[in-house]
Amino acid sequence: MVRDDADQLPVEAAWWRDTASTCGLYVHVPFCETKCGYCDFYSVPLLEGRETGPLVRCVVSELRSRKRSASGAIRTIFVGGGTPTLLPLGDLRCLFDALGEVASGGEVSEFTVEANPATIDDAKLSVLTGAGVDRLSMGAQSWSVDELAQLERLHSPDDIAPGVLMARRHGIRRINLDLIFGIPGQTLASWSNSLDRTIALCVDHISCYGLTYEAGTRLTAQMGAGRVTRCDEELEADMYTHAIDRLAAAGYEQYEISNFARLGERCAHNVAYWRNDPYIGVGPSAAGYLNGERYKNVADIGRYVAGIEERGEAVLTRERVSGVALAGETIMMQLRQMEGLNVGRFTRQTGIDALSALAPELSRFSESGLLTVDRERIALTRAGFLVADGIISELYAALGESGRGDGSAGGGRAIR
Amino acid sequence: MADLQYIRNFSIIAHIDHGKSTLADRLLERTGTISKREMREQFLDDMDLEREMGITIKANRATVKHVHNGREHMLNLIDTPGHVDFHYEVSRAMAACEGVLLLVDATQGVQAQTVANAYLAVEANLDIILVINKIDLPSAHPDEVALEVEQILGLAAEDAVYTSAKTGEGLEKLLDAICEKIPPPRGRLDARLRALIYDAKPDPHRGVISHIRVVDGAVKRGDKIRMMAAGREHIVTEVGKYTPKPTTLNTLGAGEVGYLVAGIKTIADVNIGDTITIAQNPAEDQLPGYEPPSQMVFCDFYPGPGTETADLREAMERLWLNDSSFTYDPATSDALGIGFRCGFLGLLHMKIIQERLERESDVNLVQTAPTVTYEIALNDETVVHIQSPSEMPDPSRITEIREPFCTANVIIPAEYIGALMSLALDRRGVHKKTEYLSPTRVMITYEFPLGEIIYDFYDKLKSCTRGYGTVDYEVSEFRGGQLVKMDVLVNGIAVDALSVIVHRDKAARRGRNLITRLKKEIARHMFEIPLQAAIGAKVIARETIKAYRKNVTAKCYGGDVSRKRKLLEKQKEGKKRMKNVGNVEIPQEAFMSILDPGD
Repeated sequence: MVRDDADQLPVEAAWWRDTASTCGLYVHVPFCETKCGYCDFYSVPLLEGRETGPLVRCVVSELRSRKRSASGAIRTIFVGGGTPTLLPLGDLRCLFDALGEVASGGEVSEFTVEANPATIDDAKLSVLTGAGVDRLSMGAQSWSVDELAQLERLHSPDDIAPGVLMARRHGIRRINLDLIFGIPGQTLASWSNSLDRTIALCVDHISCYGLTYEAGTRLTAQMGAGRVTRCDEELEADMYTHAIDRLAAAGYEQYEISNFARLGERCAHNVAYWRNDPYIGVGPSAAGYLNGERYKNVADIGRYVAGIEERGEAVLTRERVSGVALAGETIMMQLRQMEGLNVGRFTRQTGIDALSALAPELSRFSESGLLTVDRERIALTRAGFLVADGIISELYAALGESGRGDGSAGGGRAIR
Repeated sequence: MADLQYIRNFSIIAHIDHGKSTLADRLLERTGTISKREMREQFLDDMDLEREMGITIKANRATVKHVHNGREHMLNLIDTPGHVDFHYEVSRAMAACEGVLLLVDATQGVQAQTVANAYLAVEANLDIILVINKIDLPSAHPDEVALEVEQILGLAAEDAVYTSAKTGEGLEKLLDAICEKIPPPRGRLDARLRALIYDAKPDPHRGVISHIRVVDGAVKRGDKIRMMAAGREHIVTEVGKYTPKPTTLNTLGAGEVGYLVAGIKTIADVNIGDTITIAQNPAEDQLPGYEPPSQMVFCDFYPGPGTETADLREAMERLWLNDSSFTYDPATSDALGIGFRCGFLGLLHMKIIQERLERESDVNLVQTAPTVTYEIALNDETVVHIQSPSEMPDPSRITEIREPFCTANVIIPAEYIGALMSLALDRRGVHKKTEYLSPTRVMITYEFPLGEIIYDFYDKLKSCTRGYGTVDYEVSEFRGGQLVKMDVLVNGIAVDALSVIVHRDKAARRGRNLITRLKKEIARHMFEIPLQAAIGAKVIARETIKAYRKNVTAKCYGGDVSRKRKLLEKQKEGKKRMKNVGNVEIPQEAFMSILDPGD
């Protein structure tokens, strides 16, 4: 185990040391071709003749002003959405010129862009690589025509491999493919097939997401109306454990609930989120975390543009997270990783001694084989991963009980 | 003071929905007591809940005037509830009357409460006027209905008065019949005061308002009165009548019905059924009083989410001061914490009290399944009464468990006799007799264990008779039986609030049904949860709730951590609404699942 040398530092200094050395940058591009039924990220369909220019100019403007106020150097960039590569070439260039400036300082070690297999072409890839993009995350989702139709994806299984090859031709070595399991109608055999086809492409990173029925999505409404039948829990569990085994056999290490990577190819940007490191978020609905304060931009293009143009920012909510809420977030994000929760760092970040504050729960969960607990680390076991939400919410609830969460009572404080 | 000869005191009694409140409304309107403009539906039902549910819960009263044979008569009308739970209100109202109108729906005929209420009137020695109502409806068959009444109750069909409370037809005749057939009150105006308190209600400004029937003598403002049973003395500040609005009078004399205000602060200080007399010149004997209402059905109320035990206590105290027909005592449950064991007159009464508590005091309740009182004979020759299975003494000390029985009259169309027989058999009913009301309708008398019929018997009867069956029952006595206490173990821990007392022969089926219901109500947990029904150490039914295999959100929503945390917080809130027993979260619905006999 790596020795954490910050152990000897006083709390305040260690906090700085743990978090302030790096900073991530997330850019949200809220356009997609059509809205998928299961998706609840903020995006709007890019209709014929819709102007993307004003939005892109505002995103660039927010990026420049936020970059100036950020304390640490930007180490990772992640451009997501929506489908960023859907932007018309001119606007795409405008956005990536600005991002290229950030990356040109030489401190950025990972620069990821989300793409759909059917939305990239040589011209657009040239813009990306020109700005320094070295990683592409593609929403493959499934290798079955029926399942892609159920998900309302517009691409076909035949677009996936050509997309990957095209990215490689442009020198993008690091590629992630997203897959979804638990799709209504999906069988274990078809899921296994999707995994195998993906593994065969030799990408260095694979994300496997169980289909989530988010409140307010079309998919959830369809389920409520009885038009869609949710995948059986047992089958979904089988799919998940199959993925873990299949990917491990192919050399992909599971490092988070849904994420698998070849050695050294973890997504540094996401890992930074889960470590509670600071990050800048720009664009409509983007969230950021700077100097202990979380903020979220308004999820509306018109209001976002107006905010940036009139006031230079478009923040909807701010929240300073401390006490039990901070501890809860930390538990939530760190337990989801294979490494688990670093006990010493948790105490420095939250002021709570997890081992004593959560003693009854920790011993119960470790007795039932869901957690491994030692002096330095608390981590989910393989069985624990399957029921992570239940464990995390119980630990969080226990922290909320009086006297257990350091007495600094409380939750995030809304600033506005 | 009014001449007794021109006073009539009467009630209207009827099966529920036979048009009693409408008839009362129409009489008030007819006699000009209240104007059309003031008229609103169910004028006498002044509780919100009564008007909403379309039923009368508390007896109400009004005085109307009618000119008969050239003389103005004062008709004191006391409206009564129709539901079986409120029999005691009916008997109280009757004690203030000389006669009753027995109201029967011309389309539905005699129903169970028609019979039950008529028996009460006969027992109280009151004159009965048979009124066949709703004759305006196309499906009315008043002559046959009158014959049914004659058949079952022996009231002459030819004397029946036909009315339509809706159109007003027959009302004039009815008012005349009241003046002619109901005797005037007999009372001695010159005797020492004796007035019966037949009801009381709190008033925020004036203190308690007692509803009285003056039997002898007279009472006026300024009199110093004594409550003969309670021994308390008060100064009368106001007497009056309801016309139907309260109207102050100088004096209330023998034979009259009215109200009295005497600076009494809480309703607990007034004993319904007590006799009022004048303190300086008291009467010698009290009037016969009432049996206090007896509570038949018991359940526990525990504070629900957002409510503290103290809030609940305050709410119960406040409601009790307004309506002392229910009882409440502290109760403790391992599963549900500290709350109250409450007694009710019946299931409707329980629902009304629960509703009023939640409405009037804004508290959240967790309620356990209703049960009846059991009588336990112990081997030290003592007898205890328990109102909850959790109070059951150790089996080694018990010589016999006795349960309350009731006599039930069920009225149904003859074609459903078979359906009723099998329902009754299932509920351990003992058939006593069958009487034909007409060639097509019968009244069947059964004896049932009360616990078998309080909860859903009425609904089951309705569904097996296409809505035509009605039932009324009266509790008779405790009888010993093959009764056992069945415990329910969730994850190996006996949950007191889920215990139930059942007949030995039905235990296995009840146990299986209960466990199956529970399995549906309790969500999967991170571990396997065994559910068991057991009698003593013997497990009679078993099920297992499988551990959930997968419970993990795929995505952490990019950087939007707060959102994910709020989802977690919502889950946490959801947990608070459940009771935690041995690490198992049990939702409120589960505690009611023991009611479902599962047939």
